[in-house]
Amino acid sequence: MIDIVGALMDNIISVLLITLGGVLISWSVHFVPVGGAPAAMAQATGIGTGTVQLAAGAGLTGLITAATMMGVTDSILLVLASGAIGAMIMISVTMLVGQWSYVYGVGCVPSSAKVKYDPITKDRQDLYVSQGTEGHDLPTVSYVSGIIGGGLGGIGGAMVYYYLMIIENSLPATELVGIASIFAVGIFFVNAVIPSYNIGGTIEGFHDPKFKKFPKAVISSLAATFFCAIMGVIAIGGL
Amino acid sequence: MSAGGSGEAAGGMSHNTIIGLGLLGALIGIYAAHFLGSYASFLGGIGAIASILWGAESVRRVSSYGLGTGVPSIGMIALGMGVVAATFGLAVGGVAGPVIAVIFAALIGLLVGLLANTVLKMGIPIMVQSMAEISIAGTLTIIGLSVAMVGSFTFADVLTGVIATGYIAVIFIAGGLAILHPFNGNLGPDEKQDRTLTTAVEKGAITMIIAGIVAAVNAGASGALTIIIGVAIWYIAFSRFYKLVKRDSFSVVGTGLLPNEEELA
Amino acid sequence: MEPLTGMGVLALMGAAATIAGASEDLESDVGSQSNPNSQVQLAPQMMYPHRIYNKAISGEPPSNALMCAIGGTVATVLLGMNASVILALTIGSLVAAMIHGTFSVSSHLGRIASQNRFKQPLYLDIVKSHTPVIIAYSFITTICILVISYLMVVVLGHPFPLPLLAFIWGITIGAVGSSTGDVHYGAEREFQNVEFGSGLNASNSGNIVRKGESGVRNGYDNSWFCAKFGGPVTGIAFGMVVFLSGWITTVFDASKSAAMGWESVLAGVIIVIILAIWNRKIEVAARNAYGTYKEDQDAEVAA
Repeated sequence: MIDIVGALMDNIISVLLITLGGVLISWSVHFVPVGGAPAAMAQATGIGTGTVQLAAGAGLTGLITAATMMGVTDSILLVLASGAIGAMIMISVTMLVGQWSYVYGVGCVPSSAKVKYDPITKDRQDLYVSQGTEGHDLPTVSYVSGIIGGGLGGIGGAMVYYYLMIIENSLPATELVGIASIFAVGIFFVNAVIPSYNIGGTIEGFHDPKFKKFPKAVISSLAATFFCAIMGVIAIGGL
Repeated sequence: MSAGGSGEAAGGMSHNTIIGLGLLGALIGIYAAHFLGSYASFLGGIGAIASILWGAESVRRVSSYGLGTGVPSIGMIALGMGVVAATFGLAVGGVAGPVIAVIFAALIGLLVGLLANTVLKMGIPIMVQSMAEISIAGTLTIIGLSVAMVGSFTFADVLTGVIATGYIAVIFIAGGLAILHPFNGNLGPDEKQDRTLTTAVEKGAITMIIAGIVAAVNAGASGALTIIIGVAIWYIAFSRFYKLVKRDSFSVVGTGLLPNEEELA
Repeated sequence: MEPLTGMGVLALMGAAATIAGASEDLESDVGSQSNPNSQVQLAPQMMYPHRIYNKAISGEPPSNALMCAIGGTVATVLLGMNASVILALTIGSLVAAMIHGTFSVSSHLGRIASQNRFKQPLYLDIVKSHTPVIIAYSFITTICILVISYLMVVVLGHPFPLPLLAFIWGITIGAVGSSTGDVHYGAEREFQNVEFGSGLNASNSGNIVRKGESGVRNGYDNSWFCAKFGGPVTGIAFGMVVFLSGWITTVFDASKSAAMGWESVLAGVIIVIILAIWNRKIEVAARNAYGTYKEDQDAEVAA
């Protein structure tokens, strides 16, 4: 039997920062402009896919770049920054090409039905919303919001991975990478699903009224990730 | 891709029977595979099928209320919680590992379910119980398939044979899809419990076959036996599924034009 | 590693990713998956029975992650038995594609059977003719992802094991595919019966086009159409994700010094800013070219 209290006390910083990483992931999902099934038919603003799917796609790409960086440096800031960059590149490419599809393939103008003027560009929105829809594509505010969301998700995922990797243990490197990476993936999915239940699967970005609901998801993720983090730290720290 | 509907899904087999079958079946399978030696490693796969059956039924029950987002999300959270609980349980528990994993999976599930209903205000009455159930089902699926791959649930074996090699990724996603796909793939107003659960067995058999392929290179587990039994279960389950599809479909035709308006009326 | 070798490998990965992206999107068009499939699912309820494959395995990221993870697993097992790399990746992809086929069949049969009350017939020729095409596309996707993952592990020295990398790239390609090319299928191909550029009026939901250029429309017709735009742009998108995210760390190699690491971050930020400006340009161009809907409703919206 392993020394549970000892492992926990030695790694209390890891527990707290893994929890913070989970909270960041949860918060980040609120920034990602996702319109769900209606958006795929140009019936609602946002990317035409599910929240969990896009957030996971971006965040896990960030995890790949963060792990690359972690292989060559110990600098926490560099690992977090490259996690953020990987996720931001993934999400901005996806949103840009999504925009091509809407503008060139479907012939719609980017517009939001939730606000009258784009808060960033001050462009009029409501006139560009076609009949019977709730907006389509990605106006600039959603695009910027998506980049922020990708970045936060990438930082969160990288943070979970980094603080699992530095827990003191006697594992060989490949086993530590294996267990830390799958733990990070597991925690990522838990924290991507919780906020998507909070926003009902769709959101336009930080200008959407639903964005104000984020504290609920953040509190839920805080509690759930804290519990998962304790278990992760005990499991790895005891080895 | 959101699941519509409101109200509890009804079915022929009672929910408690399936809970018992899933929980006991999976635990017996896992322990038998662990203790009975390498030829019995396929029992881990059988255990995984039992827990997948349970998980699919729980997804079916909770998704009938309408989650606001797609059915797949609940399968992914099941395995997300499951992978944390399973690794923890096996790491600290020794021979009691699977049981400890089940207890902690239940705790995470209860926590997430409570948060969903109290903080997120999802208002699904069976949310707390269902989250706990799918979390346990996900955990048992992971442990069952791990045992089928390496022949034991001793953490050192699982760590070197399943986690460090990355096979945990395939367990994660194949187990997750086996739990979420049966209801998602049979979604519709005329969904029937027996057809959904038959799909769960069929998909469970596929995860068992994959575990058998991995077991082929592990001395502690018998790959050939796991693959053969997995293929046999898959064939039986798929034949039954096809029968049920023919029973439930409005009409099964080789080919044809679209029905006209009189035929639809 | 030689920087030149790194760039060569990266170019190969980018090329494989582009093919994978295109085949991923066409696979989801011929079988109709993910969000656009909600309309195929809705159609019989709205009295529009159809001959389109209803491939509701799950969202695209999980189903692609599944086939890539299976491919990566089988390939790793075979590599462990000293099989050649090409053989291992090919057989891995083959097993993955076959299993993907079983998921496709069970979702189509299951969903159609659950629509009994809407009198939607189950056409067996659709199952028999489309499933092999789905398997073929998924084979191409899986082998390309495996090539990317294998190169990352073996040449670029990524710490993650092959099945896990394949799993993550599977999630990513599914997310990219369902966000980009699917729009062309869902918003344009399924609703060619409404005016181009009008979006989809909620009252038209479920009224998908069911007649083809010749005969009754099926998944083949959809993938033929989407191969002209949706598939290629998805390929470009995923190729860009793989190439750009690898490019910044290969050109600015952080293993040499921390300063190089920060340069790679800076390069990434610049790329993101360029993409954001590009997006803004498209938005402005679209607003000017297409005009408003409300003031002048009858005007031709077509570009």
